[in-house]
Amino acid sequence: MSDLAIREPPRVLVPVEVLEGESISPSLVEFLAPAEVIVLGYHVLPDQTPTEQASMQFEDRARAAAEDIAAVFREAGRDVETRVAFTHDRDQTVDRVAADEGATAVLLPNPVAEVSDVLVPIRGAIDRDRLADLVATLLAEASGSATLWGLDGEGFDAPAAVEAVRESLAGRGLPAAQIRTETSAPESPVRAIVERSADFDLIVMGEGEGSLFAALFGDATERVAEGAVAPVLVVRDRDGGAD
Amino acid sequence: MCDPALRWAMDSAEEPAGANRNGESPAAVAAPTEATEETTVTAEGSELERSIGLTGGIAIGVGTMIGAGIFVFPGIAAGRAGPAAAGSFAIGAVIALLVALPASELATAMPKSGGGYYFISRALGALPGAVVGISIWLGLVFATAFYLVGFGNYAAALLAEAGVDLGSASVVVPLGLVFGALLTGLNLMGTENAAKLQNYVVGLLLTILVVFLGYGGLDALGIVGATSAPEQFMPFGPMPMFTTAALVFTSYLGFAQVATVAGDIKDPGRNLPLAMIGSVLVVGVLYVATIFVATSAFGSDPLSRFGETAIVEVARSYGGGWGALAILLAGLLATVSSANASILSTSRAVFAISKDALIPQRASRMNLRYGTPHVALAMAGGPVLVLVASGEVEVLAEVASFLHLVMYGLMCVALIAMRRNEPDWYDPDFRVPAHRLVAGVGALSSFALIGFMQPASQIIGVAIMLAAAGWYKYYASDVRLKGVL
Repeated sequence: MSDLAIREPPRVLVPVEVLEGESISPSLVEFLAPAEVIVLGYHVLPDQTPTEQASMQFEDRARAAAEDIAAVFREAGRDVETRVAFTHDRDQTVDRVAADEGATAVLLPNPVAEVSDVLVPIRGAIDRDRLADLVATLLAEASGSATLWGLDGEGFDAPAAVEAVRESLAGRGLPAAQIRTETSAPESPVRAIVERSADFDLIVMGEGEGSLFAALFGDATERVAEGAVAPVLVVRDRDGGAD
Repeated sequence: MCDPALRWAMDSAEEPAGANRNGESPAAVAAPTEATEETTVTAEGSELERSIGLTGGIAIGVGTMIGAGIFVFPGIAAGRAGPAAAGSFAIGAVIALLVALPASELATAMPKSGGGYYFISRALGALPGAVVGISIWLGLVFATAFYLVGFGNYAAALLAEAGVDLGSASVVVPLGLVFGALLTGLNLMGTENAAKLQNYVVGLLLTILVVFLGYGGLDALGIVGATSAPEQFMPFGPMPMFTTAALVFTSYLGFAQVATVAGDIKDPGRNLPLAMIGSVLVVGVLYVATIFVATSAFGSDPLSRFGETAIVEVARSYGGGWGALAILLAGLLATVSSANASILSTSRAVFAISKDALIPQRASRMNLRYGTPHVALAMAGGPVLVLVASGEVEVLAEVASFLHLVMYGLMCVALIAMRRNEPDWYDPDFRVPAHRLVAGVGALSSFALIGFMQPASQIIGVAIMLAAAGWYKYYASDVRLKGVL
């Protein structure tokens, strides 16, 4: 069934640090299955180690581990692509593969028991079409809700942004009963999102803009993923703007 | 009708073949033709991310070289050649450039870890490859030891400056040993952001040097400060200029190290030539300026009596205690960054020859805990400590230069051989203009420079090469690498 007016089928990149034993919760796999999924098994090396040297020794293990994760997705009824990369710089590799695959969102995994309710913090400009395609696709066959949470800030009209996203979601056929909206003005958006993450099963947010603070302490999305209980799906800006 | 033996020989030319005494064959990971600007793709389809940009590449080249030319050699070189030592550094720069051009072409055609060893083994065959590969491992070990002795000199001078009474015992060698062990240990544990740190260290160093040389240069030209009596340019005649060039060539050993990390360089077709040629130009200009400033400040005779840390006295004469302190700190940073970059290059050199089964492949094993190549790093750090203990700055420097110059000369020969009979896959992004002339002069001058060295260094160098050839005959005479990827 899909009478949803999805503009662009969402593609989700799932980076997994395979040789560190990282994996994806089965419930999350099931939840993501409606989207096109690309599994990226990566291994980060210290600067001392040539990537070629690591691949000689660990390539087979890394490929097997990535395939194991892909197999879980296949069991959930979704054929996935797998890629394996050895790198000195995780972010560079994830960004490159995401751009290469035209991914609409990147998963920052955290363990999760059951996925039903999604928190969508909106703190600034975000690609509304991509966000709506993604959330509507994932929730189409699920019963969970999407909570659109506008975080008021300087020069940002949160209620209007929330309303716009709500309209986009409704336009893609997501029943109004599954959409909730609210706004607030917390002092530290990142901390506020982390605190609320316990009440939700998945956070969907935009990349946000780079800033000096982000350069020093990591992107807001990474800080949320680090602190939050739930996994985070980062909706990527369209290439060309950021790249 | 085709002779089966010939047929077999033709087939085997497609990929590395043969086996060493342990039955290991060269490992083929990825053909260099499967390299893009951002990744190399292995035979199984995994992606190897390229993460070093142009700045990082130049930092490796400059960071490796700058420790020696400015912070160890000025006193020694001025003592041997007088103000003409500036000419010695210029000769070194020209030879380095003549080699950097062919090396750039080869590196853009084969952007793989291993650098010079890789080019020579593919263009000239496994025997020259093995000799160069093993020599360059030991050449880097000698170079690292030389940088560490330089570090010891600076650390001792800094302690003296701080008023620590060391009595009569020399602390140069112990300090070098402690730091060598520390660097090896840090690398064994794997450091995050080591490459970024290197960029900042090199940036800071260049800033200090440009300020220092800028002021010193203005003074030397008589624009500021008191005019000094000009000294005869070649007080000992022209010959010492050439023998000194052979000694100080150690100051230019870094540019080819950029090629040893070629597999990690982004957009190698553009960045490799720029990083190699750019880093030679940067350090060459700094070296010549340093010697000019130093000999103008003191004259070569007093300068030579200051020894390894002569440049500190030059800084003191311009900037007082603070000037001396700034240059002491710069010297510590520079010698550490040179030593560290060389330890890392050594480990990659070991990896390159063990991958090709010229030494046991166990040498390129990595440990799971830290993800570092511990055997290769130990093969770098271990022998370094033995050599540091000798404390022989000049012999260490010359043997390192000797072994590198052999590789440089053969790289030029490799370029001519490759161009004469270009394999299908040979498609460099950068082509040397007038390659026969450039590579020919590069090869001849590299080999000629060896002739100007002390006999002791020449004997040690030849002995190492013979031992390497003997090892190849004993261990891996079946391995064939010529013309393969």
